[in-house]
Amino acid sequence: MKLHVDMSICLLHGQCVIAAPQVFSFNADGGLVWLADCDESLRADVEAAADACPEQAIVIDG
Amino acid sequence: MTDAALAEAAFLNVADPDFSIRSQQVKDARALNWYAHTPYGLAVLRYDEVQKMLRHPKLRQGSHLWPQHNGVTEGKFATWWCNMLLCVEGDTHARLRRMANPAFSPKLIADLQPKFQVLANRLIDAFIDRGECDFIAEFTEPYATGVICDLLGLPFEKWRELADIAADMGLALGVTFKEDLPKIEAAVARLFDYAEELAADREAHPSEDFIGLLVKANRENPDQLSRQEMLDMIVLAIFGGIDTTRNQIGLAMDMFVQHPDQWALLGQRPDLAKAAVEEVMRTRPTTTWVTRAATEDFEFQGLKIAEGTTLHLWGQAAAMDPAAMENAETFDITAARKPHFGFGGGTHHCLGHFIARGDMTAALALMAARMKNPRYAGEVVWLPDSGNTGAVTMPLAFDKV
Repeated sequence: MKLHVDMSICLLHGQCVIAAPQVFSFNADGGLVWLADCDESLRADVEAAADACPEQAIVIDG
Repeated sequence: MTDAALAEAAFLNVADPDFSIRSQQVKDARALNWYAHTPYGLAVLRYDEVQKMLRHPKLRQGSHLWPQHNGVTEGKFATWWCNMLLCVEGDTHARLRRMANPAFSPKLIADLQPKFQVLANRLIDAFIDRGECDFIAEFTEPYATGVICDLLGLPFEKWRELADIAADMGLALGVTFKEDLPKIEAAVARLFDYAEELAADREAHPSEDFIGLLVKANRENPDQLSRQEMLDMIVLAIFGGIDTTRNQIGLAMDMFVQHPDQWALLGQRPDLAKAAVEEVMRTRPTTTWVTRAATEDFEFQGLKIAEGTTLHLWGQAAAMDPAAMENAETFDITAARKPHFGFGGGTHHCLGHFIARGDMTAALALMAARMKNPRYAGEVVWLPDSGNTGAVTMPLAFDKV
């Protein structure tokens, strides 16, 4: 499955890192990094992350 | 940082019940420096610094120290407070947040939106012909509590009792915490009785609503959500949802009473209600600050911050900083604004913000359409202006449409 994060509205709350730690993480500089293409087995976590994002910045492309 | 440089920051006595976070003194302190000293520690006053501090890796949520700061070290409130979602960190916080998030997802909240409108209209119907009301007793309290009743699957008739409990418990967040302690402890005991009752009901009759999902999670994964954690979460949902929303809608009305042109505009353009909620929360949030504590010694913009230091991030002062955005001190529901800090931010960002945004948007749109020219018809009684603030009573007159 493919996903992206709209960094123009992301405020780095980190709710995605909590909901889907295998997909989203913070790098050493505090920036958000994520797997743009991840295994289907992680779909439930990614959807939970997209739901939980306060800014609704996560888009699942399919 | 040198002593001379430290002296350039103001001292703000926020522990004084008469202190106003909206005073000229605060504006002067903000112009002087990005932080000020307070009896609790540091106050962070400017936009960029609040934004960074909300998610700074050397800071943890600092509200766990609130009871201790007020000389309260034991009892039902302190125990609940220090173990619930807001006050735990790291793996425990992530685990509890994961368990709670699905019940607050925007999809589930969207289903509640029609219920918000029914509730708001029902309450307005009860006083509209009189042309006046006590806006807190007759609208914001029953509305905020009714929304929680809908969320928890409780009948609306329970609202009065729940609202009274939440109001008593809310005293714990004000600066008169210590003197109100007996009242607060009694309220916490009653709220846990409620949580037990709700949980027992869903244990006997499984359901897919908020409580039902928590009960199911506890039954299926007691290692992920213990029974006590489940009860703590139910208490948090009731308490966190009622007190804040009741206060915030009252504060919204206060802003519009002072800006009648904005209310008239909202009456004509209900599509602005969503933006109106954001502008109210930027300029007059009930949560005037959020708390962080330093987990180790670190330096921030030249200021040495020692481990254990409490920092209050003053969201309202920061979001109204003239240096942060154009016309920051103007209340304008049509203006493009930077994000406010009314829901906090970072890992502890308000769990219930989708529901709060949804229910306040519905309420403002309906009220502006049905109640013209709102104005005060008596003395408004306020909670202290710092901490979590709001009106206790608000006699309001208006013209029926």
